[in-house]
Amino acid sequence: MTAAQIIELARQLLLGGVGTLCFGILFAIPRKCYLACAATGAVGWLAYQLAVMLGVGAVTANLLAAIPLTLLARVFAIGLKAPVTVFLLSGIFPLVPGAGIYYTAYYFIQNDNAQMAASAADTVKIAAALAIGISLVLGLPMPKPKRPPKQN
Amino acid sequence: MADINLHPDSEERRRIMDFIMAAGQTLLENGAEVFRAEQTMQIMARSLHLREFHVYVLTNGIFASAGTAEISEVRNVPSRTVHLGRVAAVNELSRELAEGRLTLPAAERRLAAARRIPFPKGRVRVLSGTVGSAVFALMFGGGAPEALAAAAAGCACSLYLWRCAALPALLQKLSGAALITVVCILACGVLSASVNHAVIGALMILTPGVAFTMSIRDFVKGDYLSGTIRLIDAVLVAACLACGTGLVLRGYTLLTGVTVA
Repeated sequence: MTAAQIIELARQLLLGGVGTLCFGILFAIPRKCYLACAATGAVGWLAYQLAVMLGVGAVTANLLAAIPLTLLARVFAIGLKAPVTVFLLSGIFPLVPGAGIYYTAYYFIQNDNAQMAASAADTVKIAAALAIGISLVLGLPMPKPKRPPKQN
Repeated sequence: MADINLHPDSEERRRIMDFIMAAGQTLLENGAEVFRAEQTMQIMARSLHLREFHVYVLTNGIFASAGTAEISEVRNVPSRTVHLGRVAAVNELSRELAEGRLTLPAAERRLAAARRIPFPKGRVRVLSGTVGSAVFALMFGGGAPEALAAAAAGCACSLYLWRCAALPALLQKLSGAALITVVCILACGVLSASVNHAVIGALMILTPGVAFTMSIRDFVKGDYLSGTIRLIDAVLVAACLACGTGLVLRGYTLLTGVTVA
């Protein structure tokens, strides 16, 4: 890996963190979770960029990125005693195919059916990859904290 | 240990039921997943010794009964916003109930307080919308000029959402998207930036990406009905965004004869 690539990854890490934090604030996350949310989003986005840089396709990259992201969200959820949703919903924001679903609708109203089908397929694949990645990690048994069993 | 009645009488059972329904409604209204609302309500019922509690939660409604259908309640939850602070507060409340550290009246007060946690101030929302738009324009491959244009559009759109919060949701999305496109075209003309990157960065404020992904998550978990409701919602919102942007782009092409790329 060259120095330029490392600098690019560092830039993306920073951007991912700031972007996640901004949308976390729009989602009104509790103040004590700000840093943890930014870290979750940054790690997810970094994993995605790294996978793409190593030549993995976008769908697989999303699946691969969802795994460390969700793991981190669970760790923060236990550490900060907040529901995992807080970290997951804002942390996943850079990865969700918001642009894809918009382009699908855009090509649809532009009557460009070939482009529409292509972006619709991509969007669904990415969303499914993320959903499966999240469900995989949320399904993992985790060491229970000392307090009574409770969603984490 | 706070004293929680092991065998609540019928009056108290009704009160517990109301409390649990309100808690579930708060969770659902503020962006918690369907299964989390279900799970939290069941945990609360167990902690308050409400027996035979059964609940079915949809994206926009809650159905529950308790005590061999002696009490049953339905809640319609049509409006959905995302306020994760309230979700976290109700979660904390349910944790304390499970540990037996709260009585019912105290829990009711805490729930009322959780429901009143305000949204961040308008200024803060506009600022984060602005910065977020710029950052997403950069993340999607734009350069500094695109980021600036997206920031201007994100700022305008956040201000618009703040000032016109009373509009119907879909109209709000449509006009918001149109506003973003107008601002981006103007700003990109000045900064000679690529309109596409700037528009998509600012549109991230409105896109239903999270709703779409969460709907697929509902499917994976087996909540097919909830997933469908969310999916249709996401598709409608996306269609509104596309209409808003498409109208402005088409109008621009008609007026100037230039197709925006």
